[in-house]
Order: sequence, then structure tokens, then C-alpha cells
Amino acid sequence: MARFVVRRLLLLVPILLGVSVLLFVWVRALPGTPAQAILGERATPAAIERFNRQYGLTRPIHVQYWAYMKTTMRGDLGTSVASRRPVTTEIKERFPATVELAFAAMAFALLVGLPLGFFAAKRYGQAFDHSSLFLSLIGISIPVFFLAIILKYVFSVKLGWLPSIGRQDVLIDAEHPTGFYVLDGIVTRNWAAAWDAVQHLILPAIALGSIPLAIIARVTRASTLDVQSEDYVRTARAKGLAPRIVDRRHVLRNALLPVTTIIGLQVGILLGGAVLTETVFAIPGMGSWLKEAIFNHDYPVLQGGILFLAFVFVMVNLLVDIAYGFINPRIRVS
Amino acid sequence: MSLAEVEGVRIEHEHLPSGLWRETGRRLLRNPGAIVGFVFVLLFVLIAIFAPLIAPYSPTEQNLSLLADGCCPGPSWAHPMGVDELGRDELSRVMYGARYSLVIGVVSVTVGLSIGLLLGAIAGGFGGFADSIVMRAMDIMLAIPGLLLAIGIVSLLGPGLVPVMIAVGVATVPIFSRLLRGAILGQRDTDYVLAAQSIGVRRRSILTGHILPNSISPVIVAGTLAMATAIIDVAGLGFLGLGPQDPSTPEWGTMLTNANSYLSTAPFLALFPGLAVVMVVLGFNLIGDGLREALDPKLRGRL
Amino acid sequence: MGKGLKIMLALVAIALVATTAAFATANRSHASDTLVLGSEGDPVLLDGALVSDGPSLRVISQMWEGLVGLKPGTTKVVPALATSWTTSKDGLQWTFNLRKGVTFHDGTTMDAKSVCYNFNRQYTLPANLQGENTNYYWFTVFGGYAKPATGNPGPDKSLYHGCKIVNPSTARIILNRPSSSFLAALALSNFGIASPDALVKYKADAATIGSDGVIRPLGTFATEHPIGTGPFKLESWRIGDKLVLARYDKYWGTKAKLKRVIIRPITDSTARLQALQSGELDGMNLLSPQDVPTVAGNSSLKVLSRPAFNIGYVGINQKIGPLSNLKVRQAVAYGLDRKAVIGAFYGGRGQVANQFLPPLVEGYAAKGVPEYPYDPEKAKTLLKEAGQTLPVTLEFWYPTDRPRGYMPDPPRNFQAFAASLEKSGFKIVPHPAPWRGGYVAGVQSGKAALYLFGWTGDFGDPANFLNVHFGAENTQFGFNNAALFKLLQQADAESNLDKRTLLYQQASIDVMKLLPMVPYANNRPALAFKKNVKGYIPSPVEIEPLNLVSVE
Repeated sequence: MARFVVRRLLLLVPILLGVSVLLFVWVRALPGTPAQAILGERATPAAIERFNRQYGLTRPIHVQYWAYMKTTMRGDLGTSVASRRPVTTEIKERFPATVELAFAAMAFALLVGLPLGFFAAKRYGQAFDHSSLFLSLIGISIPVFFLAIILKYVFSVKLGWLPSIGRQDVLIDAEHPTGFYVLDGIVTRNWAAAWDAVQHLILPAIALGSIPLAIIARVTRASTLDVQSEDYVRTARAKGLAPRIVDRRHVLRNALLPVTTIIGLQVGILLGGAVLTETVFAIPGMGSWLKEAIFNHDYPVLQGGILFLAFVFVMVNLLVDIAYGFINPRIRVS
Repeated sequence: MSLAEVEGVRIEHEHLPSGLWRETGRRLLRNPGAIVGFVFVLLFVLIAIFAPLIAPYSPTEQNLSLLADGCCPGPSWAHPMGVDELGRDELSRVMYGARYSLVIGVVSVTVGLSIGLLLGAIAGGFGGFADSIVMRAMDIMLAIPGLLLAIGIVSLLGPGLVPVMIAVGVATVPIFSRLLRGAILGQRDTDYVLAAQSIGVRRRSILTGHILPNSISPVIVAGTLAMATAIIDVAGLGFLGLGPQDPSTPEWGTMLTNANSYLSTAPFLALFPGLAVVMVVLGFNLIGDGLREALDPKLRGRL
Repeated sequence: MGKGLKIMLALVAIALVATTAAFATANRSHASDTLVLGSEGDPVLLDGALVSDGPSLRVISQMWEGLVGLKPGTTKVVPALATSWTTSKDGLQWTFNLRKGVTFHDGTTMDAKSVCYNFNRQYTLPANLQGENTNYYWFTVFGGYAKPATGNPGPDKSLYHGCKIVNPSTARIILNRPSSSFLAALALSNFGIASPDALVKYKADAATIGSDGVIRPLGTFATEHPIGTGPFKLESWRIGDKLVLARYDKYWGTKAKLKRVIIRPITDSTARLQALQSGELDGMNLLSPQDVPTVAGNSSLKVLSRPAFNIGYVGINQKIGPLSNLKVRQAVAYGLDRKAVIGAFYGGRGQVANQFLPPLVEGYAAKGVPEYPYDPEKAKTLLKEAGQTLPVTLEFWYPTDRPRGYMPDPPRNFQAFAASLEKSGFKIVPHPAPWRGGYVAGVQSGKAALYLFGWTGDFGDPANFLNVHFGAENTQFGFNNAALFKLLQQADAESNLDKRTLLYQQASIDVMKLLPMVPYANNRPALAFKKNVKGYIPSPVEIEPLNLVSVE
């Protein structure tokens, strides 16, 4: 087991290095050089030359990259051009927003998708099965931002049941020790704030979770169908065990295995969908941050933010792999 | 980037010897979902191709006098889908939008498919060092979430329709490369390949003559599903403002962005392009789904 | 799963929906000592010397005061930090008697020393902050620096000569030539008096400029400590989230009825309206014309209108391409279908502008103005006469994200104008850019050939419209017409009001003959508020004092 983990951890290094090189090159390939971005429009070629020399931009690129790696290792990701704050500070504030949204979306997807898929499999071929299949297909066919707009329009504007933007009512003066607003409310025993944060999460979570919901439902259904026809299940049934116990002890547990692999893959979908959802609901998370950074030509944010996200993404996949390896010993040997 | 990526994991190891096409076709026709999907897609393709002939108006012609009472006149006999904020006929715009979506889907998938298959063939065919390099490259690409990767490519090339197509296409490369590599690896030890190798057939011929034809089915399924996600992702990128920079372009994603500002007075402006996207994407997903069920050896026993 | 479990799940779902609906409207009302406003964007900076945009000025005006101010709802000049003033016979010396006992938010005293410090600060700005790109109002009103950077006007061109501390409560501003608009200009927040202590301590003048013209301050004055004498002070500002103003309890004048004002930037007009409709905002700036009927029909909301004190125009940079040729510019004017745009996009609240001055301003020429009705054929003829091969390709800039009082929906205006120009012998290359992220800076530094722009008056004087834009060479318009400059300077210096009005009418007509831009709209901007918000007096200059506002 340990060897498995170590092997996967070692894989992490070249991947992250590769991503950082890619980002480094990408940022430098974006229209507009760093000198232009910082110096004045009245800068003369001489001033640009001086700037480049001062900031080490005339050194060979691998030397620059090494210097960049050193500052990044120290934890300094630069300063945002748009907000004039350190990138790391912005990440500290915005990352929890996206994570909270992703968690809420995932929770929604699991809470609805798992039972949906399971029962569709149990009622294979019946109306429930067909309709759940159709529903999940629609789930992946609706663009996330379109669904977000519809939800916002119906439940916020027309019905007024839920708030339309942001993470928190602007008037609530709540403390945020963790940065996860729902958790913060609970931790500080500010129940109104916690509930307010939940209300702000409901619509975005549904919009963002629609695709994972559909996928989880389908995969659960497929794997439940597979497991149901397996020998050990048939044996258990032949033994005379009550169907409900068979379901719980054998079918469910094994059917959920493929779902855990899928969860890891969902993170990428969630991050991409977060950009769109956060834009529609004006949530100050990583998604909307990166989108604005592109329009504002905020290179430090792009470089630092995307690198951070890639790191998180890879780590999550690693954790999922480890978890899966834990659950399913056969994988460890491959 | 969603279903194709996920399901790609599953179809890697499924392959058919040729000759079962007829049975596949028969099973497909028995699947009501696939038929509906086929109808949707056919409708979409026909509208896209014949838009200039069947659209009642030009998609860019403005008729500002229609907006004298504010925005915007809803569906009527003269304008069955209403009129947009610049006095343009919405129905014609939705029809022309189909052309953009069709081209976008085809181009992105072709780009992703060709590059992906090439890389997959190299990785699987040559193995060893080439394999690890290609797979590490794919891992790096997959380390960046799909939409963000597309955003990254677009910001490099500048916003616009062509960069968006390239970006979406490139983002599908890992799916296809992994697919073909898996198919090759899966078939490497089969009897006919071993037999061919023992006779002395060259690696390249084995690849093109045996392995590739047998890998076509998962590629077709992945390709269909990739079309679906390509259309959605381009709409998403358009919504973020990275698509066609001319706001009068009748592209569904751009139209959805513009419609957002008129939601309180003219919600139909968002409804029609949105429904169009959903229907077309649903169509491709239904077909892809149907194909996969039709080709799945495991399900063969059940039916 | 048994039936029992299913029933339980169903009950939970129903309970969730019910509580959500119940809590929905309960949370929406809040303490009446706080006001939540939705603005169309974040301020750029909170330093009056370095900004020219509405959102910034609307916040700065709550925290800073000038020597004079405007009577709410009007453009009438009234005393503020100065209680009275006298002018010397030659019009060059303006002596201001300052109010006593006024303190800045940091506790320091406001006196003649602070007044002169502020004026001299702008006069002696470092080279990289000079110029209309970064220091717009000083540049356009006073037009000169002590140590000008290359290309900037120096002391010889400057209206400002110096400031003398006569005694702690009397400050004298000395001009190089007489000006009739000078006093009204002092009402601008850009010439507000900030605490010299804070200006020094928080390094207000240290900044770098990007190639997109955007200022990046190195100190924290303009972002955290914009200390003035006004009824509100800055409590906190998080870009993209909210800006919080807190009541300054030691204010010398009418203390604010509100304890706090929270300003939320929501750039998307639809989202802003939705936030108001759902109760998350108490009021919002810039209601789109197409949404006015929706608000008017809502029983808990009301629409407020500002007078039409603005001008929307299609700007022309004569340094680019064939635009230096008058016939080409005339072709642009004939090629814009302005009537259709106003009729369709302004919800009945706008009217076609035939000159740069809005009808409300003295100097508006009621007759004699050259007209340019939409005429595509004439445009094509003019282009051919100018020796151009059709179609003439021009880049047309427009902002993607910031509605303005004169231009509620820029992309829409752009599309309509581009279409009519393309029918008139032009080929239009669209160039969209975000307002704050390069559009304004790009336009003001002369990068745009054709562009959508406009102006909302800052004070009720034609100089604020005409002299600011056409009184001297301006990178935005890229032309140098000595005769026009001279006429406008003459008009501004003229002390006889009737003669002044005549001169300005002549200048307005001349501008329309020279066509440095094509005006198209005067609009009555709309705001939306909850019915229980009282005391908000819409102002023609789009800056309303919040210390008079209360929530019932």
C-alpha cells in the first residue's frame, strides 16, 4: 500500500513541473509583455530595456524559470494587477468560496443521483428507469449557465424564494474564521448567517451539480445492474436472504465502487462549471476571479491561480486514487 | 469534457471484430431514444445546411422600428420566435446559429480526433519511452480542468470563433489519445495480432490493417459524445465573452449572453437559443448512448 | 427501501421548500440605519485627483468636500468649505474665507494650509501622473503643471498660478488669466480638500502606470485612507464585493441620518435589477430603459429620474486614417442612424442631440446648427469626393460592460451604428474592451479611431462641456484647431454673461461644423429605489449626497 502511495506521489512532481512550465510559457506568450504591462505608455525603448534588466527578464529563459520557481516555492505568487492585493491573499479568500460551492454541488449530485441510479437499476426497463435515464441525459445536455439563468429567474426574481447573487446578505456582519460561510456560521454559532449562506448556495449548487448528478445517476445505475447479475449476489439471494439485506450488504457496497472513481473525475467538471455558475450568480470564487483576470490582463493572477488549481486538481485525483486503491485491493497491483 | 471523458474510461477496453455492424444497426433501431436523437440531429444538420434557403429573414438585418414600444416584440406570425434587441428575427438567427454550431462541432472534434488518435497510436504502437512521454503530456493536459484549458488557449490566441474551436478541440485530445492507446494495448495480445506479428507483418500495417478498424466503434461513440460537449463548451465560452467578438453573430452562446440583459421583459430571447442547444446536444448524447449500448458486448446477453 | 423511508424523504423535501419560502422574504428587510446601494461598477480609486469616472466620484463626494459645492438637485454653486469669497478687479485673485472648526476624518484641522497643499499637490504631480489620462480634471480645468513632463503644458499655459495662505482661515488662489467657469469647477470632488497628513503618510503620489493607462498606486491613500472632511468616511473597501461608508460624527454640516452605507458593485444591469427586486438592495444606479416599466409596475419600488444633463457621442480621432479629412467625418455623421437608435433603445427617455451641449445648458444654440440626418447615399458620395475607395475600413471601439447615463447599452448602440455605417460605405472593425480594463484608457490615449463615449456635466457651465473637450489639443480627438481653441478660451474668460452665451453658441455651432465627434443622445438616466427610501434627490451631475437620505 505504501509503495502505491509513494509511486503516485512521485508522479505528482513531474506533472506539476510540467504544468508550471506550461503556465510560465503561456503567460509570457500572452499578448503584451510584462514590461509593457507595468511600465508607462510613455516608456522609451531605453526604459523598457532598463526594466527588463532590473526584473531579470534579459536572462536566459531557464534562469528566469528557476527564479520564478524559487519565489513560488517560497509561497509568493505575485500581486494582482486588478485588485492590487497579493495573489495568495485572493486565493485564500476565493478558494473556499469555490470549494464550498463544489461541495454543495457534489452533495446535491450524490444525494439525488445515487438513489436515482440505484432505483432505476432496480426497476430496470420500467417507466422509472426510462424517465431517470432521460432526465440524466437532459442533465448533461443543458449548458450550466443556461440552467443557472433559468433557476435564478424562476426562484429568485419571479418567486423571490432565494437570493440571486453573492454568498451572503450584505448586511449580515458575520465572522469568517474558516472562509467557508456555512461552516463559519456553525462554528461561531451564528445560525442566521449559516442559514443565509445555505440559501445563497442552493441555486448555484443545483445548477453546478446538474452534470455530476446525471453522470452519477447513470454510473450508479450501470454498476448496480452489473453487480446485480454477479454470482455472489445470486448466491446470497438463493440462500434466502431478504432482498433488502442483500441490497444493503452486497449490491450497494459494490455498486458504489465505480462511483468513487467518477467522483474524482467530477472535480474537473466542477471547476469548469464553477466559472460559469459563479459568473451568473456573482459569487466571488476562483472561477469568476480567473475569468476577470483574463479580461483585465491580470497575468500574476492567471499564472498563480491556475497553477494553484492544477495543484489542487492533481492532489484530489491522487487522493481519490489512493482511496480507491484502499477500497479495491486489485488496483494496487496493476 | 464531461460525459466523453468519463465514459471514455469505460469504453477503452471494448472492441468488436468487424462483421457485427448489421446487428449493431438493428439494435440501434430498436432503441427509441436513439431514434429520437437521430431525428434531432438530422433536423439540426438539415437546418444548418439549408438555413440560407429556409430562414425567413437575414440574421443580421436590423429593423429598429419594431422596437418603438421597447424591447421586444414576442412571438407573432411574422416573427414566430419574436424579435431580438436589435430588431432582428430570432427564428432566422436560431437557424443560422445551427450552422455555427455544426461547423464548431465538426471542426473541434476533427481537430481533437486527429491529434488524439495520432498521439494514441504513437503511444500504444511504439510503447516504452514514446508511451510515457505522450501519457505524461496527456496527464498534464488533464491536470488543468477542461474549460480552463480552453480558456487558456483562447486567451493565448485571442478571442474569436476560430480560437474557440481550436481550444475546444485541443481539450478533447486526451480523450481520444487515451482511447486509442487503450484499444491498442487491449488488442496487442489477441490471437490475430500475434499471428500477424509472427508472420512478419510490419507494426504500421498491423496498426492500420487490424487494430484501427477494430477500434472504430469506441471512437465513433466518443466522437459523437465529443460533438455534444463541443457544442456546449463553445456556448459556454461564448457566454464568458470569449467567442465571436462581433455581438451580432448569430451564434447560440453569444445570443444567450445578449438575451441575459432582457430577461425581465423578453425571456423568450434566452429560451429559444437555449432550447436549441439542449435539443441538439441531447440528440448527440442520445445517439452516442444508443451506439454504446448497441456495441456493448456485456449487454448483448441481456437483450 | 420501504414505503416509510420514501414518505420520510418526501416530508423532508417539503419541509425544506417550505422553510426556504418562509425565510425568503423575512430576511429582506433590515435595520433602517443602513442603506445598501447597487452601483454599476467599483470605483477605480478613491483619490479625486486621479479619477474621472462616476462610480469613483460618487463615493469620493461623500467623503471629500471642496471650497464650494452644488445645491442638491441643481447645478447652483453654494458655499462648502469656504463660507464666502471675493474676486479681485482683474479677476486673477480669488480670496476664500474658510469655515472654522472643520476637521478631517483623521482629526487634523482643515485650514488654508491644507487648501493650498491640495492645489499645489496637483500642480506639482510627478511626471507619470500628469496628463489627461490620469489627472483629467486638473488638466482640463487648469491645464498646466509646475514641472511638466515631456509633452505636457507648463506654467506658461496654466490657468493656475499659485495659492497663498493669507491667514489660517483665508486662502487665496491666483490665476494667470480670468476665467468665469473656475468657481463652478471648484465644486468638483476632484478639487476636494484631502488631509495633507494622510496624503503624505499614505504616499498618495506614488504610483506606476500600465501600458493600458491604468494607474497602480504604490501607497494606500487611494485605496484605504482617502481622508477628507465629508459626512462619511471609508470604513472598508473590498473590490468586487462591497464598499462600506460610515457616518463621520464630527461632520460640521448636516450629519448623516444613516449610520452606514454599503455600496455593492454589480456590473450586470440585469443582475443589479434582480438584486433590487429580491430585496437585497435598497436602491440602484442606472436602471436600463427597458426595465423602467417593470419597476414602475412594482408596488414596492419607485423610479427616480435625473435631468438630461449629458451627451452621448460617437468620438472621432482625427489622427487615425482618413479621419483628418472633414468630408470623411461628415460621411460618418450622415452614416449614423441616430433617430432610429434613440427611438428604439432609450425607452422614450432620450432625445436626439444635434450638438455637444445639452438643451439645459446656457450656450445651447437653438438655431443655426448644421444638421446631419441619416443619409447613406450622401455619406457614400462624400467619401468618394474625399478620394476614398469604398468601403472605408475603420476600427470602432465600444465598451463591453459599463452602462452610462447617456448610453444604457453600449454593445447595442454599437451594433446599430455599425450596421448603419456599413450601409453608408464603411467597413467596421469592432473593438470591444472592458470599461475599466482598457477601454477608457485606450480611448483617452488616442488608440481608438471611432468610439462610443459621452459626458455627464459636472457643473452647470458650458465650459464644462466644450472647453474640457475642445478647448485645447486632446489625444482623444487628435486635432489642433487654433481658431476653435481661441474662441473657447475667449468665451470662458468673458465676464459679461450675455456675451458669453453668444460666444458659446457660436462655439457650439463651430464644433458641429468641424465634427470632431458626432453627438447623438441626451438621456434622462433612471434610478430605482425601494419606496421606503427617502431624501434621495437626483442630480443632473449624477452625484447625490447621501447624508440627506433615510430609510423608513
